[in-house]
Order: sequence, then C-alpha cells, then structure tokens
Amino acid sequence: MQVEEKLALLNYKTDPAYAHITIDESICETCPDHFCTFGCPAKCYTIIDGRINFKYEDCVECGTCVIACAHGSVKWTNPKGGQGIKYKFG
Amino acid sequence: MSGGMSDFDVIVVGAGPAGSSAAIKLASSGSNVLLVERADPPGSKAVSGGILWGKELEKVVPDWEKVTPLERFIEYKSTAFLTEESKVSVDFRTKKFEKSKTGYSVLRAKLDQFLAQKAKAAGATLVTGITVDSLSMKDGIVNGVVQDGETVTANTVILAEGTNPRVAIEAGLRKPLSDLDSAIGIKEVVKLSENTINERFNLKGNAGYAGEFVLGFLEGGVRAGGFMYTNKDSLSVGVVISLPHLRENGKTYAYDIMEKFMQHPYVSPLVEGGQVQEYSAHLVSEGGVNSMPDLYGDGYMIAGDSAGFTFSNGMVIQGMNYAIASGVLAAETAIEAIKKKEFTRGALSSYQSKLERSQVLMDLRKFRGIDRLVWSRLVHETAPEMLENILFGIFYEDGSPKKHLANTILQGISGSNMKKSELIMETYRMLRRM
Repeated sequence: MQVEEKLALLNYKTDPAYAHITIDESICETCPDHFCTFGCPAKCYTIIDGRINFKYEDCVECGTCVIACAHGSVKWTNPKGGQGIKYKFG
Repeated sequence: MSGGMSDFDVIVVGAGPAGSSAAIKLASSGSNVLLVERADPPGSKAVSGGILWGKELEKVVPDWEKVTPLERFIEYKSTAFLTEESKVSVDFRTKKFEKSKTGYSVLRAKLDQFLAQKAKAAGATLVTGITVDSLSMKDGIVNGVVQDGETVTANTVILAEGTNPRVAIEAGLRKPLSDLDSAIGIKEVVKLSENTINERFNLKGNAGYAGEFVLGFLEGGVRAGGFMYTNKDSLSVGVVISLPHLRENGKTYAYDIMEKFMQHPYVSPLVEGGQVQEYSAHLVSEGGVNSMPDLYGDGYMIAGDSAGFTFSNGMVIQGMNYAIASGVLAAETAIEAIKKKEFTRGALSSYQSKLERSQVLMDLRKFRGIDRLVWSRLVHETAPEMLENILFGIFYEDGSPKKHLANTILQGISGSNMKKSELIMETYRMLRRM
C-alpha cells in the first residue's frame, strides 16, 4: 500500500488561514541532505524540480520534521484550536 | 504568592493519560482545576504504542478494569528478531496473566476521551479544541496560560503536553527535541474480525497478544523496532525508527520502513485480508533521565511524555503507566501546595522526591542509557543474522554427519559480522544493563 493511500484514510480539519509549520526556503535551497523528505511519515516534504515543496495539510503533527531539519528551517507550532489531524483510533 | 486571586488553583495543559489523571486527582480533592486540550475530542491527536502496563489507573479510577475502554488483556507476549527470511522469537504466554493482569491493549481516541470525561465528572473544567500558545509568567514565576492573547491564571500549571511539548519548549523549560531523545513512531490500525484475530494468534475470549520485533532485515545501517498488538477487532501494527541511524543512511524513507514491516513474510500473513483503518505517526520519547528537563520550577511541574517518562528495553515499551503515575504525583504535590498556599520552586520540589521514590524515576535511573543498547549494532545487525544462522544449522538436515551443538553455535558466532571478543563484551554489557 502506498503512503498516499494510507494518508487518504485520515480525517483532517484543515485550517486554511494558518500553516502551523513553516519553512525558510532560503535555508532549504542550500540544504545538502533534505532529510525532512526521509523523516516525515506523512510525505509533507517532497522535492519538485530540485526544490523543497512543503504542504502542511497532510501533517499528522508528529514533530519529526523539526528534529529532522538540522539547519533550522522548520518552525513548528501547534495548529489552532481543534484543527489539524483527527484520529478515530489513536 | 498566595491563592485566591487566580482564576484556577491548577491549570493542566494536555488531556492525555498524565494530564487527565492529574485533573481527576485534583478535582476529586476539591481543587479548582482547568484541563485544557488542543484536540477535540481528547485523544483525537494521540497515538499509543499500544499497551497500558500495570495498574496505575486504579489510583484515579478505582473500578478501572470494569469501566475503562480497554481492548484485550495481554496473555501472550513475544519478542522476535526478524531477518529477511526468518523469525527467531521468544514467546511467553501464561494463564497466570488471566488472574494477574499485567497490561491491556488500548486505543487512545477512546481511552483519552474516557479519562477526560472522568476528570470533568470529578469537577474539573474541561475545555477541548483550545491550543495553549504560551505560559504566562510574572517575575519569572509561571502564573497561567495564554491562548489567543487571553490569559487564564492559576497558582500552578501542570504541563502534560506529550512527546512534542511546544509550550514547555517555547518557554525554555525543555530543551528542543533532538535525535537522541526522540524516535519516529508510525502505526497502522488494521481491522480484522474478533474470530480471525483469535484464530491467527491462538487466543480465546478477551486474551490478547503483544509482540515486539527487531527489524534485522533493514539495510544501510537503518535501525528500527516493530510492534504488533491485538485490539478487540483490530491490530495495532507499527515501527519505531531511530533518527540518528535514518539520518546517517540518508536515503531511506520512514514510511517505507512501515510498509516493509507489514510485508515481511512472517508479518503479512497476520495482517492479511485486514483493512487498514488508520495510519498515524508520533514521536516516541527515548532519552530517559539523560534528556530529562527540570521537572518543576516556580509555579509549574512537567509530567508524562513531556518529561521523557518512557521506558523500553526492547521487550516492553512503557509510557502510559509512567504518565498516569507522574500525573497523580504532580496532582498530590499541587494539593499540598494549595494547602500551604505556596507555589514556589521550593514548595513544588516534593514532586521530584515523590517521583524518585516511585517506580517512574527508579526505573528510569536504574536503566539509564538503555536506549543506546536497545539501538545497538549487536541487537540490530549482529544478533538477528547470527541467531538465524545458528538455528538454521541446528534444524537443517541434509543427510551429512551431524556436528556437535556447540560447534554449530561457535560457527554461527564466528560467522557473525562482529568480532568474537567484541560480541562477548557487547553481550555482557547488554545483560548487565538489563
């Protein structure tokens, strides 16, 4: 099963007005490892045309990326009240 | 600083096992407590490694075994090494666990909601779907929480935010997380009928299975453990991946490790035909006392995963029991502080001494540094293959004259990827730690 199919099973209450994780693209441009793409279990970080493409909408709020990025690009906050991932089983 | 002027006696941030246990204890003693949870409902952002060990819940819910949403009691425990083609496992199952229950599989969406409602029933003010942005401080003393620019005050704040404690980190009460104190946990809940589960795992009634695995088939120095637990009518199957090793490898995707585990020849038949109901991920606290923050200070205490209270020796993974225990001790400390009307660092210091006398810090101190052994080369790269070779040598019959058992074992050892002297030293170190 592809990770995309697994992520499609999940419920989110997406906050269109607030990205709870932001990245500093100028840092990502010079990043030698792009370890975020390997660490993130929700495939929020992908490389498109040699550049990091980040989407917070699929984030499951695990916190891996803020550790994975050793270059200080990732700023992690909690989504605003009640928004974000909604697990049914946990 | 004295009580009376604050909105609440205590604010608890996070309605997981630690926070809700603290809130139940506090509210039951008549304290005015606010329990704030960013998920709505509670538990809808939680992921458990699966097993609630021990009887800690008894301290806050006396008839817990009857009323708590538990899945199955653990009767069958297994620890296994997986290589690409083999599985070497130690299975332990006993009817004794039927009378003396050691643990239950749980699903956190149900468990956390139940505990939060218990806190509410006990008299706590429960607010859900509210994200605490930061702590309110006055003269260096924590005196409340801030949400959307609004401050709610309390004499004491108990931080029980889980493994990624943003509020504590932002306030500088915890160092930012690092490779060494966190691992990546990924889990799938796979739906199977109760009967199918009972047949596949040879279980009866409400008895359950809990298996831990060393994923010795991973390549390129990647190290991960696996787990599989039976719920009533689903399996919780997951992996815990070491961040430093994944980083060093630099070309393996965490989510692919999860899928590889699911497809292992001795895992896939157990999940076959099951429908994946949920995919989830969560950090797992790893560092133990080595990365433990100050557990208390002026006006605050830290409990549960936020304090790094998890334990794993490769055979069991525990955390929820320590979360409940530490939540209860934080509540007891707060109750004493309320009586004395003193909430300074000194007044809250008995939280630490209570923890030191409890299983929580006794376990974590005794097994300090065990995470390094759990993630060692011996466990992940040497032992799985070596055990496979030895057992293959013992059981493979090709008609040639038999060797002595000792020779087969010695051959397995000298054929391993670790020098014999190193192997002996590593094994000795491991056993001593355990």
